[in-house]
Amino acid sequence: MLIHKRLILAHFWLAFASFGVALVLGAWQMYVRSPLSPPINDPELYYRSVTAHGTVMGYVFPTLIAMGFGYAITELALDKALVGRRWAWTGFTLVLVGSITAIVPVAMGLSSVLYTFYPPMIGNAFYYIGIVLVVVGSWIWVALMSVNLRVWKRDNPGKPVPLAMFANVAGSYLWGWTAVGAALELIFQILPVALGFKATIDAGLARVFFSWTLHAIVYFWLMPAYIAYYTIVPRAIGGRLYSDTMARISFALFLVVAMPIGIHHLFADPQVGSGFKVVHSIFTAVVAIPTLLTVFTICASVEIAGRLRGGKGMWGWLGALPWGNPMMLAVAFSFVMLGFGGAGGIINMSYQLDSSIHNTQWITGHFHLIYAGAIVIMYFAIAYDLWPHLTGRALDSVRLMKAQLWLWFVGMIVLTFPWHYVGILGMPRRMAVYDYSDPAIEPQALSVVASAIGGFILVASAVLFIAVLVRGHRAPRVETPVYRFSKALHEAKTMPAALNGLALWLALMISLTIVNYGYPIAQLVSLDNTSVPAIRIGGQR
Amino acid sequence: MSSAHDVTVRIEKRWAGMVIGLIALLVAITIYTGLHWAMMPPSRVETVDPRTLHIAGEFTESNLGTAIEADGSVTVRLLAQQYSFTPQCLLVPANTPITFRATSADVVHGFLIDHTNINSMLVPGYISTFRSSFDTPGEHPMPCHEFCGTGHQGMWGNVKVVDKAEFQKLKSESGRSSCVDP
Amino acid sequence: MNGERLVSLRNHWFVASVGAALAIFVFAFLVGFVWLPSAQTDVQFQGLWNAICSAAGVPQTWVRPSPAAIPLGRITSTVVVTPQMLGDPAADSIGRGATLSLKCTMCHGARGLSEADSPNLAGQYPAVVFKELQDFKSGARTNAVMGPMVANLSDQDMIDLAAYYAYLPRLPGYHPKPGQSAPSVVVHGAPMRNIPPCASCHGGVDTKTGSPWLEGESPVYLEAQLKAFASGARHNDISEQMRNIARRMTPAEVRAASEYFAGQP
Repeated sequence: MLIHKRLILAHFWLAFASFGVALVLGAWQMYVRSPLSPPINDPELYYRSVTAHGTVMGYVFPTLIAMGFGYAITELALDKALVGRRWAWTGFTLVLVGSITAIVPVAMGLSSVLYTFYPPMIGNAFYYIGIVLVVVGSWIWVALMSVNLRVWKRDNPGKPVPLAMFANVAGSYLWGWTAVGAALELIFQILPVALGFKATIDAGLARVFFSWTLHAIVYFWLMPAYIAYYTIVPRAIGGRLYSDTMARISFALFLVVAMPIGIHHLFADPQVGSGFKVVHSIFTAVVAIPTLLTVFTICASVEIAGRLRGGKGMWGWLGALPWGNPMMLAVAFSFVMLGFGGAGGIINMSYQLDSSIHNTQWITGHFHLIYAGAIVIMYFAIAYDLWPHLTGRALDSVRLMKAQLWLWFVGMIVLTFPWHYVGILGMPRRMAVYDYSDPAIEPQALSVVASAIGGFILVASAVLFIAVLVRGHRAPRVETPVYRFSKALHEAKTMPAALNGLALWLALMISLTIVNYGYPIAQLVSLDNTSVPAIRIGGQR
Repeated sequence: MSSAHDVTVRIEKRWAGMVIGLIALLVAITIYTGLHWAMMPPSRVETVDPRTLHIAGEFTESNLGTAIEADGSVTVRLLAQQYSFTPQCLLVPANTPITFRATSADVVHGFLIDHTNINSMLVPGYISTFRSSFDTPGEHPMPCHEFCGTGHQGMWGNVKVVDKAEFQKLKSESGRSSCVDP
Repeated sequence: MNGERLVSLRNHWFVASVGAALAIFVFAFLVGFVWLPSAQTDVQFQGLWNAICSAAGVPQTWVRPSPAAIPLGRITSTVVVTPQMLGDPAADSIGRGATLSLKCTMCHGARGLSEADSPNLAGQYPAVVFKELQDFKSGARTNAVMGPMVANLSDQDMIDLAAYYAYLPRLPGYHPKPGQSAPSVVVHGAPMRNIPPCASCHGGVDTKTGSPWLEGESPVYLEAQLKAFASGARHNDISEQMRNIARRMTPAEVRAASEYFAGQP
C-alpha cells in the first residue's frame, strides 16, 4: 500500500519532464548533424546540447527514477510507511536544486564540456556544483533505503527480506559507492580549478576517477529494470518467478562485479598500464554472468506464464503469452534490445577488439541500445504498472501504451543499428558537423539519415507516453487492488544470511574496487609532473 | 513439491555452468589473441610536459613525422592540439612495423585511423606508444574522436600508406617524412 | 538462519564468494602482469619484475630516439603559451607599456588603431602581443621593421606593452561593413580538409589562448599572413597550428575570411 504517493509522483514527474526535454535535444542533435540539415552555424550550440542531454539522461533522469521507485518498493514490499519522509523530501529538493544549478550554466553556454567533464577543459563552477548536489541528494536516498531495511529487519527477525527490497537496496548501495569516483574527481580535482584556487589538473587521473563511476552507473540505471523483470513482470503477465534464490545471487553479483571493471573504458588511454587493463577486462567478462542468469530466469518465468495460460509443446507457450498486455510487450522488446546491446558489449569489453570501435559512433549505439532501449522501456513499464496505485485512478489507454512501446522499440532500433554500422566504418562520435560530400565519409550519409529518423520516432513515442500518464491523472477514480510483487515458484521460508542482507557483497564490492583501482589511482596521485594547464570553456566569445 | 523444486534447481545450475563456460571461452580468446598476435592497446605509461613540447625533446616541429630506424622499422611521431594533428597527413610504408608516439599539447584528443584498429586517446601529460602496421597501400581519414572544444568537428587528418619502394622515393631528406602539402 | 555467522569458514556462501573473487583476481593478475607481457618484445617487459612494473603502469622511457633529423633551418617559437600566462598586470605595468608604446605609434596608431595595414593592437589579448614580440626577438617571426624594434626590449618591456595594449579599448576599425553575413569558412570551416571554423579560436564561438582577436584588422594584413602561413614563410605558430589550417584553405576562402574579419566593426 503506497502511503507517500506525492513523494513518489514528484520524483517520477520531475524525471519524465527532464527526460522529455533532453530527448527533444537528442533528436535535434541527430537532425543537425545529418545530411538533412545544413551545417550548424554555431557548433557550440551542438556541444551545449550534448552536454545538457547527457547530464539529464545520465545523472538526473535515472537517479530520480531509482529514487522514486525505491521509495515505492520500500512501502509496497515492506508493507509499511517509509521511514524518513522529511529526509526523502530533502533529497528530492537537493536533486531539483542541483539540476537547475547545473543546467543554467549549460544553457548559457558556459559549460559545454559534455557530461563526461573532460578536464583539462573546465566549465563554469556551478555546473559541477549542481551535479555534486544531485549526487548528495541521491545519497540521502541511499541512506534511507539502508535505514528502512534495517528497521524492517529489526521488526521482523528471521523473516526473508522481500526480493524487491533486497534488490532495491543493492541498487542503492551500488550507486552510493560508484558515485564516489566522480565525486572525488569533482571535489578534489575539478572544483578547485573551476573556483580558481588551482590552475592545473591531472587529466589522466581524472579519467581514472571518472571510469570508476562510468561503468557501474550503467548498472545503477539498469537496477530498476532488473527489479521489474524479477518482481513485476511475472505477476503482471500471470506467471511465477522461476527462482527467488537465483534472483538474489544475480543482484549480489551485480553489486560485486559492476564496480571493479571501469578501466575497460580506458583501454585506449596512455596513463593506465596494460596489466590493470587486462584485469578489468576479465572482470568485465564476469559481469556478463548475472545478466545471463537473469535472461534464463526471466525467460523461464515467462514460459511458466505461457504454460499456465494453456500453451503446449516446445514453442506453443510463446503464442499463449498475453501479448496484449503492455508489460509483456515491454519485457519482450527490452530483452531483444538487451540481447543485441549485450552482444555489442562483448566487443567493447574485449581488450583487443575494442580498438576497432573505441569512441566511434558504435559506442553511442551500444549504450543507447542498452540504456535508452532495454532499460528505459522498462522505466515506462514501471510507470504504467505503478500509476493507478499512485493516482488512485484507472490507467486504461492500453492501445496508446502498446503504440508507445512499439514506437520506442522501432525508434531505438532505427536509431542505434545504423550507429553501430557507421561506427565500424570509423565515424567518430560527438561532432557538430560532418561533411558528407567528402567521398571518405559519403557512404555514412544514408545511415545517419536513418538514425535521425529514429530520433524523431522516439520523440513521438515520448509524447504518447506523457499523454498516457496525464490521462491517468484525469481518469475516474477506481478502487485499486492491493499491489503485489511476483510470487516465486518456490517461496523460501528462511533465507541464508548471505542472501538476506548485503554485508558480504558490500564488503566484496569495496575490497575489489580497492584492489583493482587502488594502485592505478595511488600511482597517478603520486606522480608530480602530470598536471597540465586547465583550459577554460565558455569565456569570452 | 520438493522434487519439482530440485528439478528447477538442477536446470538452473546447468545453465549457470554453461554461462561460466561461455565467459571462460571469451577470456580464453582474449588471452590467445594477446599472446599470439601480441596485441596491446597503448599502455606503455610515460609522462611529458605538454607546455614545452615545441621547445625541446621528441615532439619539436622538426622531429615530427615518420622516421626510419636502423632496423628498417619506422617510428611515427605526432602531436595533437586544438584543432589539428601535426603532421596533418601521415606518410607511412606498407608492410613495415610502425611504432606510434603521440601526445597532446592542450586537452584530451582522440586518435583514430579509419578502417584499422589503430585507436588511442591522447591525454596531455602522457605519451601514447603503440605498434602496428598496414597490410595494403591506401588512404585513410584520421579523425580526432574525443570532444576537444568547439572546433572538434574540423579536426580531421589523413594517412597515406604507400608501398615500401614508393616510400623510399617520397621520403624527406630531413629524415622526417609526411604527406603535408608543400 | 538466526545466529548463522556470515564471516566464517563454515559458511559456504562466504567461502564460495570470497574464494571466487580471490581466484578470479589471482588468475586475472597472472594473465595481465605475467602471461601477456611475456608476448611483448619491449625490453621493459623482459623479466618478471620489469613486466609487473610495466604492466602496473610505472612510467618508463619506452622508445630510444630515432636517428637525428636534419634541422629544418628555421627558428620556431619558444614561448610557453598557457591560458594562465601573464595573469593580472602589475599596477605600473600599463603605464610603463604606454611609455614604451610611443615607439609603436607610427605604424600601430596613437590609440592602437593602425592606419597603415599594420595590425590593430587596441584591446588585443596580452598573450598575443607578448608572444609575437618574443617571436620577433627570437627570429621565429621575421619582419624588416619589427626585428630592429624589438631587439632591445626586455621580457618585462614586452609584458608591459602587452598589458598596455590589452588595456586600450577596442575601437571600430576603418573598414566596417556592418551586416555582412559570415562566410562558410568562418562559421563552418571545412571539416574534411582539417579547417575548423575560424570562430572556434578567433572569437565568435570561442577563443583559444594565443589566437589573436581579428575583428577590424586590415584585410591586406590578414590575407598576407594567411598566405605566409600557407607557404611556411611565417612559421612561428606553435607546432604548425595555423599553418595546418592556412595551407588547406583555397584562395577564395582566404579572401573571404580576411574581408569578413576586416569588415567587422
